[in-house]
Amino acid sequence: MDEEILQDFLIEASELVEQLDEQLTDLANSPTDSDLLNAIFRGFHTIKGGAGFLGVTPLVEVCHRAENVFDKIRNDEVAYDDVASDVIMRAFDVISDYIEKLRDGARELDEADTGLLSELDALWRGQAAGATHEEEIATPEAEVAPSQPEVKLQLPEGVDPDGDISDDEFEALLNQRDALSVSADEPGTTSVAGVKLQLEEGVDPDGDITDDEFEALLNQRDMLGVDEPSAPAEPPKSAVEPKVAAPAPQPAPAPKPAAKDSDGDKGEDKPSKAAAESTVRVDTRRLDEIMNLVGELVLVRNRLLTLKSLEDAQEELSNAVGNLDHVTTDLQTSVMKTRMQPVKKVFGRFPRVVRDLARKLGKEIELELQGEETDLDKNLVEALADPLVHLVRNSVDHGIEMPSERENANKPRKGTVILAAEQEGDHILLSITDDGKGMDPDVLRRKAVEKGMMDEVSANQLDDKAAFELIMSAGFSTAETISDISGRGVGMDVVKNMITKLNGSIDIHSVLGKGTQINIRVPLTLAILPTLMVSFGEDSYAIPLTSVQEIFDFDSDQTNKIDGQMMVRLREKSIPLIFLSEWLSPECDKTTYDGDKVIIVSIGNQRAGFVVDQVNGQEEVVIKPLGVMMKHIEGYAGATITGNGNIALILDLPGVIQRFQY
Amino acid sequence: MALVAANKNKDVDLALMNEEDQEKYSGPSIRCVLFELDSEIYGINVKKIREVLRVGSIRKVEGSDYNVLGVINVRGVIVTVVDTRLSYGISPKAVDDLSRIIIVELDDDNIVGMLVDCVLEVKDIPEKQFESMSATKEGASRYLQGIAHFNGNVIILVDVDSMFKV
Repeated sequence: MDEEILQDFLIEASELVEQLDEQLTDLANSPTDSDLLNAIFRGFHTIKGGAGFLGVTPLVEVCHRAENVFDKIRNDEVAYDDVASDVIMRAFDVISDYIEKLRDGARELDEADTGLLSELDALWRGQAAGATHEEEIATPEAEVAPSQPEVKLQLPEGVDPDGDISDDEFEALLNQRDALSVSADEPGTTSVAGVKLQLEEGVDPDGDITDDEFEALLNQRDMLGVDEPSAPAEPPKSAVEPKVAAPAPQPAPAPKPAAKDSDGDKGEDKPSKAAAESTVRVDTRRLDEIMNLVGELVLVRNRLLTLKSLEDAQEELSNAVGNLDHVTTDLQTSVMKTRMQPVKKVFGRFPRVVRDLARKLGKEIELELQGEETDLDKNLVEALADPLVHLVRNSVDHGIEMPSERENANKPRKGTVILAAEQEGDHILLSITDDGKGMDPDVLRRKAVEKGMMDEVSANQLDDKAAFELIMSAGFSTAETISDISGRGVGMDVVKNMITKLNGSIDIHSVLGKGTQINIRVPLTLAILPTLMVSFGEDSYAIPLTSVQEIFDFDSDQTNKIDGQMMVRLREKSIPLIFLSEWLSPECDKTTYDGDKVIIVSIGNQRAGFVVDQVNGQEEVVIKPLGVMMKHIEGYAGATITGNGNIALILDLPGVIQRFQY
Repeated sequence: MALVAANKNKDVDLALMNEEDQEKYSGPSIRCVLFELDSEIYGINVKKIREVLRVGSIRKVEGSDYNVLGVINVRGVIVTVVDTRLSYGISPKAVDDLSRIIIVELDDDNIVGMLVDCVLEVKDIPEKQFESMSATKEGASRYLQGIAHFNGNVIILVDVDSMFKV
């Protein structure tokens, strides 16, 4: 197997699988949309073409049958009902599984489950008496030597001279053209049947073609001059003639059927044609590089702006710096946009997740998606996928009740889960809302005591919101039984950690009997971080602003030492104090902290007060990794270059707190 | 800088040497940047070096290893700077006008700065001149790739890869 071609195929196939996933989901809502049906048909067809060329037989088998079924569906010969969608979904899963395996390095694939294959066949045969093998035209070998007579008979009936030309018609016409140009070149000596005869006896048109056979067929065709692209086609019916004009300049069959196949398909893909021509595939590493350089430019710009405001610079210089400022800002926005992807990419998988789960659990659930077109950073889109899957599964598994239970509670049988995204300033708000049974804060408090996480007194002191947040503590699972869906007690704390890592926050609202809403806020992009700049002497540090709750002056009257730990009283609550200077400037042995500032930060359900010498204000910074030999140091998230060209270290709050806990 | 002057005097054109010397200095060579630490000459393969910088402000990072001075900003990239003296167990010395930071490329993504007393010159040193360090004692020798006798000087070739494990 040619590794290079295989890699190309895998990139393309993965994209197609992603597209198909989306399209199949859409199809559930509009099962008769002919554009969609055509697109899906082409998707399977293209994967099959590539797989056939690479000799991945099991993949070809499944794609081929799926394609057959969709051919019937789009011709209204088979209905896309629940049975059909179920089989197709399974076939799709098998296909994406195969592609994943190939990507993981597997080169030999297991045969597809024969049950599935025969189900697909049955679906295809369904109302398909006397059907023709039109789709075979698309397979590489059939392209060379199609079953001509059937095509000839089929064409005139199905052709609507005014309507859009379908792919089959189009391919049939191409074949006719090929056949006709053969006879035109050598009139009398070679007939259409003559071409067909040359396909060796015993070659199964659906089966694998060997290299030799393929080579031989190519040679035959070359000799016959079939692949002259300029050969004018003379279709038998004048009614379809105008349509042939367009296909005629199609590239001649290249010696790589796989490549040709996909190229052809792209060209025919009407809805995405314009998009295909106006996009370029760029390595994300390169984008990251550009992003980094733009970040640099922003910093240089900031420095110039600082200089401009410092010295009474000449007017012309100020103007130039002003211009640079605008251009840089625009450039930064544009570059950021290249990394933006609609959140639909993540949301797209949920209808299936919910459907499958609901079926498995015997629940009736409707999933509503809102704000799918909201854009966010590519890295974020990827990073959010897993936590969201977990949260949605939780809603379906723990949130929504069984239909009978719902009826008893005077609720509609069908539960609703809403997955929504919206932009909220420089943040994205994602919410998962269900109208299920909600959470009981008392149960949670009791659980926390049972698990030995806290004593009864402090558990009872927790307000409802804090009680809900308990579910995000490690090892806290309230599910009575462990299922493979959720409830292993490793879920919510992992979700929380992942969101925290993205500089995001998560909060939970729940009303017993009414439902639960989980809100996730993440920054628009991972590259730029809003921070609060603080300093100790000359050294400045940046604290991620998302964690900062409030700042006030240090007042020794408000502090007490409790169990060896300094605490500050704030609105009837005690919050532990962390004297950052003990770590960050150990040489200046401070005796009094009067005049210092206290910054209250919250990390998950923990709060702490950081005592710092000075607060310098907010600054948006570009996060840069600390260099070699620094990565293991706990407490730093990276470094950045400030407007005056100095380096500021970015604190990693969970790490800092870890540092002070012993 | 007396050493540099001394080197210059010894740097005789190959054509003027007698046959024995020619034999000694011919063959493949390694191009090295030579620098000084505590009056000894060290060399690093130029292929490993991106640039040599004057010492600007170094930002201290609390909690870093004993031989790490801090980080510097090299055109937008945060680069760790180590005191090469400390890496070799030599007592530190205050930065002066001759002090330089040699920026070394460890791989595509990682660079590191080495503070040295002064940078001397770039020299081609014949491979034949190097002796392997296997016979010497453990300890400080772990960052050494070899020793060369060249033009009357002893040059210690630094093994940067073992010095900074990424």
